[in-house]
Amino acid sequence: MNRTAAPAGRVRLDLLDPLEVSRLGGLEVVTEGVVEGFLTGLHRSPRRGFSVEFAEHRMYQPGDELRYVDWKILGRNDRLYVKQFEEETNLRAVVVCDASRSMAWTGDPAAVLPKLDYARRLIAALSLVLLRQRDATGLITFDDTVRSVIPPSARTGHWHQLLRVLAELEAGQGTAAEPALRRVVGSLRRRGLVVFVSDLLLDRDLALKALRFLRHRGHHVLVLHIMDPSEATLSGPAEARFEDPETREAVILRPRDWASAYGATVEGVVSAWRLACRRNDIGYHRVLTSTPFGSVLRQALALPRRG
Amino acid sequence: MIGFLHPWVLAGLLAAAVPILLHLVARREPPTVVFPAVRYLITTTRENQKRLRLEHWLLLLFRTLLIASLVMAAAGPTIRLSGVPGHSPTALVVMLDNSPSSTVVAGGTSRLSQLKTAARAALERATPSDGLWLLTADGTPRRGDRAALIRLVDSLAPSARRMDLGAALTLAGSVLGTDPRPGELMMITDLQATAVSAATPAAPLVVVRPEDAPPPNLGVAALATGAQPWSTDGGRVVVTVAGDSTRTTPVMVQLDNRPGRQALANAGSAVTVNVPGAPAGWRIATAELDADELKADDRRSAYIRVAPVARVFWDPGDRYVAAACDVLVTSGRLARGNELTLGALGAGFSVVYPPSDPAAVGALNRALARRGVAWHFGAPSDAPVETDSSGLLGRQQVLRRYALESNGSGRTGVLATAGGAPWAVRSGGVVLLGSRLEPEWTGLPLAAGFVPFLDRLLNRVARGELSMVDGVPGEPVALPDLATEVRLGQESWKVEGGDLFRPSAPGAHLILAGTDTIGSLNVGLDPRESALERMGDREIRRLWKGARLVPLADGGGAAFSSRALADGRGPLLWAALVCGLGELFLASIRRRRP
Repeated sequence: MNRTAAPAGRVRLDLLDPLEVSRLGGLEVVTEGVVEGFLTGLHRSPRRGFSVEFAEHRMYQPGDELRYVDWKILGRNDRLYVKQFEEETNLRAVVVCDASRSMAWTGDPAAVLPKLDYARRLIAALSLVLLRQRDATGLITFDDTVRSVIPPSARTGHWHQLLRVLAELEAGQGTAAEPALRRVVGSLRRRGLVVFVSDLLLDRDLALKALRFLRHRGHHVLVLHIMDPSEATLSGPAEARFEDPETREAVILRPRDWASAYGATVEGVVSAWRLACRRNDIGYHRVLTSTPFGSVLRQALALPRRG
Repeated sequence: MIGFLHPWVLAGLLAAAVPILLHLVARREPPTVVFPAVRYLITTTRENQKRLRLEHWLLLLFRTLLIASLVMAAAGPTIRLSGVPGHSPTALVVMLDNSPSSTVVAGGTSRLSQLKTAARAALERATPSDGLWLLTADGTPRRGDRAALIRLVDSLAPSARRMDLGAALTLAGSVLGTDPRPGELMMITDLQATAVSAATPAAPLVVVRPEDAPPPNLGVAALATGAQPWSTDGGRVVVTVAGDSTRTTPVMVQLDNRPGRQALANAGSAVTVNVPGAPAGWRIATAELDADELKADDRRSAYIRVAPVARVFWDPGDRYVAAACDVLVTSGRLARGNELTLGALGAGFSVVYPPSDPAAVGALNRALARRGVAWHFGAPSDAPVETDSSGLLGRQQVLRRYALESNGSGRTGVLATAGGAPWAVRSGGVVLLGSRLEPEWTGLPLAAGFVPFLDRLLNRVARGELSMVDGVPGEPVALPDLATEVRLGQESWKVEGGDLFRPSAPGAHLILAGTDTIGSLNVGLDPRESALERMGDREIRRLWKGARLVPLADGGGAAFSSRALADGRGPLLWAALVCGLGELFLASIRRRRP
């Protein structure tokens, strides 16, 4: 309870259970609440001031604002220096969202948001944070084809455009990430941030190849691996026929027999993704759909801003 | 071989099928679950399928075996094993070979004592619930309890009778057929090759036999004394030597205790030895070899009748009879005289055949009756018949004959028959023939055997010395009609004429009719007993299917081996425990998995 309460006694939505948060209202309202909570927490953190960065000192010239005078140097050297800050660069970010059929799945509808709903809210929150920092933010959605492309923009009202697309986003069929990631190149002329939100149930080699390509273009790349808790640990009836909603591939087994080995396989997959991303200087986070949004936002926005 | 004390409990083995049924039932089409990460499952199954499948089958195996072991343990399993103390009630026939070959000395002791030790050890394993028989060379199965049969074994003497092992097996099988208990056969024998014949054992068979090679042996297989009676000038005997030794051995032939004559012989050969003359009477001729490891066959004896040849009166008008008698006189087998009348009823011994004039038959019958002869001539018959095979006559054609009819109710004294009716009979000192010795009456005068027939008839039969018979112990011998007693040394057996007599021991026997000696029965060991070579194990297994061969030393332990029971519950309960622990271990591993 203490973690979710703001100093002023307001509830911090970024720390609540995502399903509970989603029940509080529409996408817009909830997302704003989450971001408010997130930013409140962020200001209290040691890393505040991420948007303005100190660059160098220079001699004071008449007309300079006194608030930038460095009083400590004046005290030591009896000279007037002003602190000069690097001009804040507007970041250009593109969020690539997987809207394949597998993303529409949840292992427990009563307790956990479907992966796509979770991604929808996470992206909305992330883009709001970025836009508030006056970073241009775009969105590409895909399933087996590229479904929608919204170029990055920092204009007022852009967030609502993103929200509309996210709200209307429905799960498609298969997953083909590579074309969507290639489309990013067209949206980001200069170095920017690419956030790839997917359950990564796709062709790993092709996706990695596209991500490496983006990284080579100088973009910061962040992979948010959305995973339902029921995908991390195998459970179910005594024996079941497990069917892939996209490929219709099926396998019959007893979850109890295979749970341990399956858990090891999942960990192996996550480790493989993490290792491959690290080797290519790509950020990677596994995001369980039960994880509060604030936690994920903090991880996502802890990236260096200069490339 | 596993048996069960409560076999009905085995119906519970159906329960062992429960895990399998559950396994099969569980293989029904399961519900479908939509699951995006199927690719992870496929990877997982591909990498772990072998291990999990093994676990699965092991679990199934453990559960099935656990149930099966418990059910079988509850059924009271008994396992047939040799060397265990207990066995189920069994009918056991112990065949103990005490034939003459078992008297051979091997390794310092007689083979029979070794066989008896093995038999005793086998019988000592018997329990009161067993049925026990002892079958020896005499061919009589003896039933008894353990103590009685052990006493019987201890007192068992070597038999003079050969034991046909195949026949013994068949007999033992028929003995077992009378007992409801499961049977077992135990043959304790020197396994002499000549004693083995094919048989199908009626029950599990254990053959206990020595492993050391039998010693080489030579024995007297036959002692032929030739035509008798011998004249007082002496005669010749032919000695046949049998055995499996390659050495040459001296053969000593003696008549009573007179100085003997020697000759050299080896296995398979026959030597002729001239024996000097002796006074008239019954003399025992003995052929003897140097002693070797098997003494029983080193000596053989036979009675010889030494007597002057018959002095015969015959009618020179009987052409064929006269010619034959002339031949016999010339060869010294007959002399002219009045001791015996041939062709008519004389004062002394007579050989009478029908007169050529049928009108004279009545007078002849009256004369016979006056002499006290118990037979007379009956109705004539022209129906051709053949004489029945007999030692006196052989098979001869009879064209005409008179029926020989007995004055009393019996048929005592019949020497030969033709067409089933008496043709030659003897009563008192008179021999009656049903046909005249002429070609119109019988083919005998023209046959090659006519002269030997007359020799035998005049020298032996007519004078009351009816039979010179050879025999082997245990084998039946037909006695002459007049025989009343058989005598061997001081032993004697009362018999009835015409009966079969089984001599029990080798030796020269006399056949008596009242106080008259009417023949001899010369009994010697079966010559096959002299070949001691043992039958090979492989051949035994071929001839006696399923036979288990064990050495003498292990003979006792092998008894009841087919019925020896070990309690199988212990191993099964251990197996159940191991299966249970295995199941527990595997199941706990699976349960510990998240």
